[in-house]
Amino acid sequence: MLELFGITKRFGATHALEDVSLSLLEGEVLGLVGHNGAGKSTLIKIIAGAETPDSGEIRVDGQKLHFHSPHDAYAAGIRVIHQDAPLVPSFDAVENCFLGRPYPRHLGRIDRKAMRAAIASVAQEIAPGLPLDVPVALLSPTERQFVRLLRAVADKGRMLILDEPTAALPAEDAETFYDVLARTRDRGTSIMLVSHRLDEIATFCGRAVVLRDGRVVAEHKGAELTVGNLIRSMGGGDAPVVHREAAAGTAPVALEIKGLRTSELRQPISLQVGAGEVVALYGLAGSGRSHLLNAIWGAEPVRSGTMRLDGAAYAPRSPRDAVRAGVSYIPADRHRSGLFANLDLVFNKTLPLLSSYRGVAALPIPDRRAERSAFLVAAERVSMAFNSPAQMARTLSGGNQQKLIFSRWANRHSKVMLLDEPTEGIDVMAKATIKEIISAIAADGDAVLVSTSDRDEALQLGDRIAVFRNGAIVKIFTRAEASPEALSAAAQAREPALT
Amino acid sequence: MTTITLNRFGTLVAFVLLCVGFAIAAPQAFASQANVFNLIQQMATLAIVATAATLVMTIGEFDLSVGFSASLAAVICFVLFGQGYDVWLAVPIALLVGIVAGAANGVLVARFGIPSFVATLALGTILSGLAFGISGGESLFRAVPDGFKALGRGDLFGVPVLAFWIVAVLGVANFVLTQTEFGRHLRAIGGNAQAARLAGLPIVRDVIITFAAAGGLAALAGLLLAARLGSVQHTMGEPLLLPAYAAVFIGTTASPTGTPTVAGTLLGVAITGVLVNGMTIVGVEPFIQRILTGVIIIVAVLLRRIGRSAA
Repeated sequence: MLELFGITKRFGATHALEDVSLSLLEGEVLGLVGHNGAGKSTLIKIIAGAETPDSGEIRVDGQKLHFHSPHDAYAAGIRVIHQDAPLVPSFDAVENCFLGRPYPRHLGRIDRKAMRAAIASVAQEIAPGLPLDVPVALLSPTERQFVRLLRAVADKGRMLILDEPTAALPAEDAETFYDVLARTRDRGTSIMLVSHRLDEIATFCGRAVVLRDGRVVAEHKGAELTVGNLIRSMGGGDAPVVHREAAAGTAPVALEIKGLRTSELRQPISLQVGAGEVVALYGLAGSGRSHLLNAIWGAEPVRSGTMRLDGAAYAPRSPRDAVRAGVSYIPADRHRSGLFANLDLVFNKTLPLLSSYRGVAALPIPDRRAERSAFLVAAERVSMAFNSPAQMARTLSGGNQQKLIFSRWANRHSKVMLLDEPTEGIDVMAKATIKEIISAIAADGDAVLVSTSDRDEALQLGDRIAVFRNGAIVKIFTRAEASPEALSAAAQAREPALT
Repeated sequence: MTTITLNRFGTLVAFVLLCVGFAIAAPQAFASQANVFNLIQQMATLAIVATAATLVMTIGEFDLSVGFSASLAAVICFVLFGQGYDVWLAVPIALLVGIVAGAANGVLVARFGIPSFVATLALGTILSGLAFGISGGESLFRAVPDGFKALGRGDLFGVPVLAFWIVAVLGVANFVLTQTEFGRHLRAIGGNAQAARLAGLPIVRDVIITFAAAGGLAALAGLLLAARLGSVQHTMGEPLLLPAYAAVFIGTTASPTGTPTVAGTLLGVAITGVLVNGMTIVGVEPFIQRILTGVIIIVAVLLRRIGRSAA
């Protein structure tokens, strides 16, 4: 139905995709897997018409097509469904399905009956239980995914590309979701499923293609399609470059967590982190890593369990308590949660510890000169490149923005440093610098917790690696025990170990 | 660089051109000392209410209750006078009413997460009901001490006393916003509330204090208006609301990031004030004055948009 021949795409000197050929057959669910950076998103963009390949051919029903824009791909029946594609919350499923399409009319009025009938006939086939007349805001995340599917299928979508469709869904609902997907497939719709959840790929796909470094390296089907085989084909990337000395085993315990639970962490979590030790928290998105950091940071209420900081009881009720206790935090998603984009660099740097820059200790008035020189020192320490301390934070590159957030804590010794996805969305060089900074922070005697979805990063940084799955720590590896395969196997649900 | 400079100072240039234009059109009437003093007196209450709006807009919220707080404070003050209270007791009580009402707004917004637009509109409606009830719907003007009237009338060193109020209130507000830790917090919350919370700022406390300060300033504005007029109606503060926000919005066009500043707000108040004053002197009919004022706000913000997207 959809065929790609020799697709190649370069960005500058790097090959994002090299000679990629694959086909999507009528009525099949094809899995597409690969590590971050393997080329999946570029491939999706090319199929969706958002990028044009440098060379290669796309054929639909045997006919060669040139996609100049997403509109062309849409006209060919291709629908890319992103996990958080927007729906109008106050509209019901029927109205959402008709967004952007001509409404059926009766005597000049919008014919609600005809709309509903058109959608209901499709819904009956793929998701019979879906409420069609309720605003989607009142539906569950899973049901909203059904609405997205329904919308694509009802508007002549014949080839669906689903990008991480279950990432935001509770684990219990994944099965219902795949039932609906199976029924969609049975209508003759072709589905390409892109997911990090390899167990789901192995269970629900008839066939899976593995991308690695921009090339198709393997295709598994039938009995061959197992989580173990997929992990092996995806490859370990490069062997972990260990540039951190392992922390001494005798270091005192800086942070002790006992039986911690929050509304998101349903299994009690216990963990000890020594001064100068780096514990990496590895797991898929939504596995609970960030919630643990939030709880330690006082940003998420703790239901039960206790924490001790340097032996003293520690129960932060807000991030402010955490800052005062000597805990520091770098949030994930810096644009939403970290950066003040329209304020200057000095403002961004000094804000969390603002009272330490007073000119006169009794007056809550920051001394601009003290702030500026502290900023310059910190910027040097995190090797941030900038034009002027007065420039706005949004004018920095992603890597420098992240360094700016690191610089906030650079002038003090923290007891515990919490890092959530510290290298997300920044370039390779900046990543290397950030990793060095993290090593330096640990060498300074801070206890460091790094939450990451990047397996290599977990292996490089962690003295120990705690693997999360479904809101619980499933295994804690020492560096000696850890291997790429073992981490992946532990992070994937339903298949406890590789054989 | 030239476009940025033009952008930044465009609003100021427009104000100067406006003044020059009216001065040429009506040299004796507009540019006279008497009219300038008159202008300052007309602008004072608006400038203070607009400063309250500026504080609240700095944290990215709205306070629609400022006009109602102003009325209620003035009504309470005059009722207390009627009962024989002294100025030094009645005025602080009236200010406290404004502060408490503002803090209540802050609690509704920060603690209970009600959108400020809704919370302050609802609370403002309650305040207007209270003002109506306490005043009995009547105009109050009896037993007003001369010492109170002096707060809003008369001169000091040959300049209207209200000019000093403008300088004092806006000066303090500007200092707090630009120089203090609290002001930093407010700008951080307005810039990115989620990031401010995760950076460990006490945002619940900061938001409540901001709304309380806005309520206190609104009450002060109401009292000064009452002092100048010598009488109080329970609806007297309401017409301040829209011009106050208009002034803040015009003022945001003078800041590089489109955020409200006290200086910008003062400029906005001056522009709207001069516009109305000048048009009245030149003899433009009141209904045309209103239409023109609206048009000018839209044009100012629009020009700013175009300038920014080009930069």
